[in-house]
Amino acid sequence: MKLLWAVSALLLSCWRTDASTAGFTKSPLSQMKLIDDSAELHCEVIGNPIPEVQWWFVEGEEPNETFTQLFDGARNDRVQINATYIVHATSIIHLTSLTLDDSGTYECRASNDPDRNELKKTPKIKWIRSQANIIVIETPNIVTEPHEVSNQTSAVLSCNLTDSSLLIKGSYWTLNGNILEDSVSADDSPFTVHRLDKITHSNSGTYECVFKTEPQVKQTIEVKTLPHVVAYKHSEHGNENDKGVMVCVGHGHPLPTDWGWFKEEDGNRKQILNGTGDKYEIKSTPNKTTLTINELSIQDDIGDYTCLGTNELGPGSDKIHLRVRSRLAALWPFLGIVAEVIILVTIIFIYEKRRKPDEVNDGHHLDSCLDCI
Amino acid sequence: MSPAPKDVLGYKPPDGGWGWMVVFGAHISIGFAYSTPKALSIFFKEIQMDLGASYSEIAWISSIMLAVMYAGGPVSSVLVTRFGSRPIVMTGGLMCGVSMATASFGSSIIYLYFCIGIIGGCGLSLNLNASLTIISKYFLVKRPLANGLAMAGSPVFLCFLAPVNQYLLARFGWRGSLLILGGMMLNCCVAGALMRPVTPPDKWTSFAPQTKVEQPNEHNTKIKRNFGRNAKKFLDLSFFKDRGFVIYLIGNVMFIFGAYAPIVFLSAYAINQGVEKYSAAYLLSIMGFVDMFIRPATGLIANSKWIRPRIQYFFSFAMVFNGTCHLLCPLIKSYVFLVVYAAFFGIGFGMVFALIFECLMDLMGSQRFPSAVGLVTIVECFPMLLGPPAAGLLVDVFGDYKYLFFMCGSVIMTGGLFLFVMNIYNYHMLDKEKAAKNNEQGQKDTENQDQEKAASWIWCLRDYTIFRECLTLYAQVLG
Repeated sequence: MKLLWAVSALLLSCWRTDASTAGFTKSPLSQMKLIDDSAELHCEVIGNPIPEVQWWFVEGEEPNETFTQLFDGARNDRVQINATYIVHATSIIHLTSLTLDDSGTYECRASNDPDRNELKKTPKIKWIRSQANIIVIETPNIVTEPHEVSNQTSAVLSCNLTDSSLLIKGSYWTLNGNILEDSVSADDSPFTVHRLDKITHSNSGTYECVFKTEPQVKQTIEVKTLPHVVAYKHSEHGNENDKGVMVCVGHGHPLPTDWGWFKEEDGNRKQILNGTGDKYEIKSTPNKTTLTINELSIQDDIGDYTCLGTNELGPGSDKIHLRVRSRLAALWPFLGIVAEVIILVTIIFIYEKRRKPDEVNDGHHLDSCLDCI
Repeated sequence: MSPAPKDVLGYKPPDGGWGWMVVFGAHISIGFAYSTPKALSIFFKEIQMDLGASYSEIAWISSIMLAVMYAGGPVSSVLVTRFGSRPIVMTGGLMCGVSMATASFGSSIIYLYFCIGIIGGCGLSLNLNASLTIISKYFLVKRPLANGLAMAGSPVFLCFLAPVNQYLLARFGWRGSLLILGGMMLNCCVAGALMRPVTPPDKWTSFAPQTKVEQPNEHNTKIKRNFGRNAKKFLDLSFFKDRGFVIYLIGNVMFIFGAYAPIVFLSAYAINQGVEKYSAAYLLSIMGFVDMFIRPATGLIANSKWIRPRIQYFFSFAMVFNGTCHLLCPLIKSYVFLVVYAAFFGIGFGMVFALIFECLMDLMGSQRFPSAVGLVTIVECFPMLLGPPAAGLLVDVFGDYKYLFFMCGSVIMTGGLFLFVMNIYNYHMLDKEKAAKNNEQGQKDTENQDQEKAASWIWCLRDYTIFRECLTLYAQVLG
C-alpha cells in the first residue's frame, strides 16, 4: 500500500514538473506624452498553462498606494485592451486622448497559478508584476514668426520653443510632410530658422518646424501664394464637328477653389458657363480643369480661351489658342499627290511606247542559214 | 567560287541602262514596304486617345501589317512568276494607297486592323517580292550593288517618313495624315511603271526545231499547265530538298530572331543607364543614318572581284559582326560609347540586310528566286513575331537588359558561324557534283554538235522548198 502511494506521488510530481511558472518576455516601457496624444503599452508573458494578463493603474506613493484595475472601455472608452492567448499571452493597452489625470504608473500583472483568483489567498504571492510610468505634460508653446505668409516674395520662418524642460536633441523643418534635408540640425537650441529667399508656387505649402524631443513637438506655418495656372498645351487642335478638349492645371498652395473659362471676343471676355446648351462642359478639381466643346465649328469656335483659377489670395490664369481643322483639309494635298502619280505614270508609259519600235530586230535566223549554205 | 545557278537565264541581263531606273523604282517600293509599319507608330498615341483602345491593341496594327507582308510571300511569288513584276507592283501600290485612304475614315480598331493591317500588308508583300525579282532579272554582274542600293530604301524612307509623319500629325490629325500617307504610297505605282519587263533580244536560242512549228499553240497550253501546277503548290516544298536553301533558311531564321529586339529596346536600355530621353531617341536615328550609307557601300564591296565569288562567307561575316556588337553592348555604360555602339549596330545591320536577298539570288538563280523568296519570308514571319516578345520576357524575368543583348548576340553569332561552316561544306559538295557533271557533259557535247548541224540543214531545206514553190506559182500567174 505504501509502495503504491509512493509510486503515485512520484508520478504526480513528474506530471507537475511539466508546468512552468509565468515569466515576462516583454515588459511595458515608460513614456512621456503630450495632452491629447495616445499611448500604448505592450506586455508579453510565457508560461504553462498560458498565464492570464491584467492591467492595473497605481496611484499614490508607497505604502499608501491605490490600485485600480483597467478594463476594455474604461475611462469613457478611452482605454482599449487587446489580448491574445495563443502559445503565450500578449496584451496591449491603448490610451487615447490623454489628459493630465492619466499620468501615473501602469502595472502589467500575470499569473498562471490556478489559485490566483482565490479571495482567501494574498494576490501578491501568486502574481508577477511589471510597471511602467506614463507622464502626460502640457504641450509646450512654440512661438512662430510669422504666423502665416501670404503673397510675399520672400520670408524668414522661425520657431522658438519656450517654457519647456524637455531635452532638445535637434530640430528640422518639413514641407507638406517631406523632410527638408538641408534644415536638419543637431543643435540643442530652442530657436530654429528657415529662410525662403524666393517664394514660388513650388515652395509654397504647409511648413512645420519639428523639435527632436521626447515626445516630439512641432508647429505649423502656412506659406500661401497666388495660384500658378498652366495649360497642358498652349495650342490645341480639333476637327470640325468633332469635340475639342482644353485642360488647365493649377499649382501652389492653397489650390484654386474656383475655376472659370472665358472666350476672348473682340477684346472682351465672355464667360463660358457649364452646361449652356450641349456645347460646353466644364469639369473641375482643385488642381485641374477641363473644358470640352462639342460640335466644333470653324466660324464660331476658333480663337483664344482663358482659364482662370482663384484661391483665397487671388486669381491666376493662362491662355489657350484653339484651331479647328476642316474635314476636307487633308483632301487637297491627297488629290494633288494622286494627280502627280497619274501624270508620272502616264509620262513613263508614253516614253516607253515611243522607244519600243526602235528596239525590234529579227534578222537572226536568216544569218544562221546563210552560214550553212 | 559561287555556286552555279540551277538554271540559265537564257539571255544576258542588261546590267545597266534602264536597269538603274528599275533600281530606283525598287528603292521606293522596298522603302515603303519596310518603313511604313515602323513609321505608323507615330500616330498610335492619337489613335489610342480617339478610339479609346489600349496601347497593346493599337500596337497590333503594326504587327499585323508586318506579319501579312511576310506571310503573303508565296502568293505574291506565284503572281510575279505568272504576270511579271510591273503589274504586281502597281497593284500593290494601289492596294496600299486605298488601304490607308479607307483607314482614315475608320471608327473602330477592328476596322483599322483590316484596312491597314491586312489590305495594306498584302499590298506591301506584293511590292517587296516583285521589286526583288525584277532586280535579279535586270542585273547579274552588278547585282550586289543593285541590291544594296535598292535595300537602302528602307532606312532612307524611315528617316524621311518619321519627321514628315510628325508634321502631318500636328497639321492634319491622324485621319488626314493617313489619307495623305495613302497618297504617298500611290507613288509605288510610279515605281511599278518604271519596272519595264525585260524582253530577251534573241528568241531562237533553243535547240528543238521539231517543235518549232507547233510552238504557238503548245506554248499557251504549257503556260496554262504550269500556272495550274504552281497555283496548287503555293508552298513549293521541293525547295527544302535543296541543301543550300536549307542552310540559308536556318541561318536567316536565327538572324531575324535576334535582329529586331535590340532596336525595340535600345532607347529603353539607354534611359535605364541614365541617358536623357531625347538623347536616347537620337541613338536610333544615328543607327538609321549609318544604315543608309552602309547598304550601298556593302553592295559595292560585295560586287568587287575578290568578294563576289565568296559572297556567302561575307554574309556570314556580317552576321558574326552584328552578333559581336550585341554581345559587347552590356559592357557599355556611358552615352558616348552607346553612340559608338549604335553606329556599329547600324553598320552590322546594314551589311546583313544589303546581302540578305543577294545571297538568296546567288544560291537560287533568277528563275527560282521568286518562289524561294516567298517561302523564306513566310518562314521568317515566325522568328520576327516571336523575337521581341521573347526578349521582353527576358527583361521582365531578370530585370536586367544585359541578358537580352546576350541572347540576341549569341543567337545571331551562332547563325553566322553556322552559315560559315555549312557553306564551306556546301561549296565542297557543289564542286564535287560539278566535276562529275563535267565528265558527263564532255560526252554529251560531241552528240549535240552533230544534232545542231542536222537542224540547220533542215531549216535551210524548208526555206528553199518554200522559195521554190513561190517561184512556181509566180511563173504560173505570169505565164
